[in-house]
Amino acid sequence: MSESNKDPGIMSQLHKTFFAKHWPVWVGGIVLGTLNILLFAIKSPWGASGGINNWGENVYALIGVFNLENAAPLGTSFYGMLCLFLVLGSFIGALLSKEFALRIPPKGELIKGFIGGSLMALGATFGIGCTIGAFFSGMPAMSGGAIIFTIGLFIGVIIALKYLMWELEKFPKFSSGKSYNFLAGTGKSGVWQKWLGWIVLIITFVIAYQYSGGNKIMAWFIIIGMLMGLVSQRSRFCIVKAFRDPFMTGEADGSVGVMTGLMVGLFGFTIIKYFGIGVGDIALRAREMTWVFPHFFFRAAIGGFIFGIGMTIAGGCAVGTLWRVGEGQVKLWASALGFLLISPISKLYIVPPIVDSLPQSWDFKSFLPDYLGYPGAFALITFIILIWYVFVKWNEKTGKFSAY
Amino acid sequence: MDIKIDETLDCKGLSCPMPMMKLAKAMKGMNSEEVLEMIGTDPGTKSDLPRWCGKTGNTLLDESELAGGVFRFLIKKK
Repeated sequence: MSESNKDPGIMSQLHKTFFAKHWPVWVGGIVLGTLNILLFAIKSPWGASGGINNWGENVYALIGVFNLENAAPLGTSFYGMLCLFLVLGSFIGALLSKEFALRIPPKGELIKGFIGGSLMALGATFGIGCTIGAFFSGMPAMSGGAIIFTIGLFIGVIIALKYLMWELEKFPKFSSGKSYNFLAGTGKSGVWQKWLGWIVLIITFVIAYQYSGGNKIMAWFIIIGMLMGLVSQRSRFCIVKAFRDPFMTGEADGSVGVMTGLMVGLFGFTIIKYFGIGVGDIALRAREMTWVFPHFFFRAAIGGFIFGIGMTIAGGCAVGTLWRVGEGQVKLWASALGFLLISPISKLYIVPPIVDSLPQSWDFKSFLPDYLGYPGAFALITFIILIWYVFVKWNEKTGKFSAY
Repeated sequence: MDIKIDETLDCKGLSCPMPMMKLAKAMKGMNSEEVLEMIGTDPGTKSDLPRWCGKTGNTLLDESELAGGVFRFLIKKK
């Protein structure tokens, strides 16, 4: 009898392990890096801006503008669905930890969210990728363009952070004023959040199961997307934070979490590419070149720069925006809206005329093992991550580059 | 526990990084041993703030959750 009495305690302990406190960011990094490898093993690596672009195309197709009737319906787009279930996964994580609430910020913050999201859309369409596709997946994919994109991001983040500090100094009222908070799960009356969390989790598995007959890959994209959202929410995995915080408060945990995910991804991606795992009917070369985009160097540099500004103003990159949408942060709803509305317009009308006027030699696919071999490319990426690690840890101690 | 509060910072509705930026700026303008009350709604602050206090040497005196999903922190300046 005493054994069975303990059962609820054990289950509640298990629930607490995952949902009572936030996870260390490096734990999130390890799990997200692993899930990214799984995505690559079954199809192709993690990406976020393509999925949000698909949402935007579907919105315009519904309205009947920009001749986007032929856009892939959301239910058939792997990355559109990955992003959708990432939002739902974060929603589940927030509900199960009773952290969900509709948080409506002051007006100025909503404006910044929308502008930041729009800039991210411009950056992602010009740079061919976002902080996920062209960085968190691009670096492990050993793409030379990813390194350039990362440098662009850094510069964009630093400039936008300077702007935020200036705004706070000169126009503090812009981020102050009326705010609202609805549906919070505080106390016993918030227990509905836990129940709803379990219900949405079950619905996710039912939808994945529905797909499993005809489209096995989609079934797994749904499950992995959900897990990515849940893990990101619990560990507060945020690429803006990784780039920004060393220059703001000097804190390095967010950066180390992202580095962990990069290293895990690097091992997995290298093995997949080197052995041609999952090559199927396509040529080995095509498998090797997966997530190596034709943006070395110009498009990556400019795209990364614009994206870096956008994500810092919005307070979330593509994925940071998505999981905060699921948590109920309405500023990031504005960011997602700006992103999805501007992305198709930029892709159709803004980027092509600019790209057509650029010399071809400015933008090509640079696969690092072509120049350095697999060992050299692996060592280079590891070395870059190591340098970044030493910098953020040194800066955390000395505060040399932090503003506060 | 009676703690004298010297200043209150309202960060309700704000998301990362605004609460931490506002907090760091407000603390800069305070004197040693003074206490700042910060209220906010971003769950991220629950992890960011204790870490920041640990790093800067300021003391997190109290942390609580009020009705309606509002978090309250009391921080004493070093």
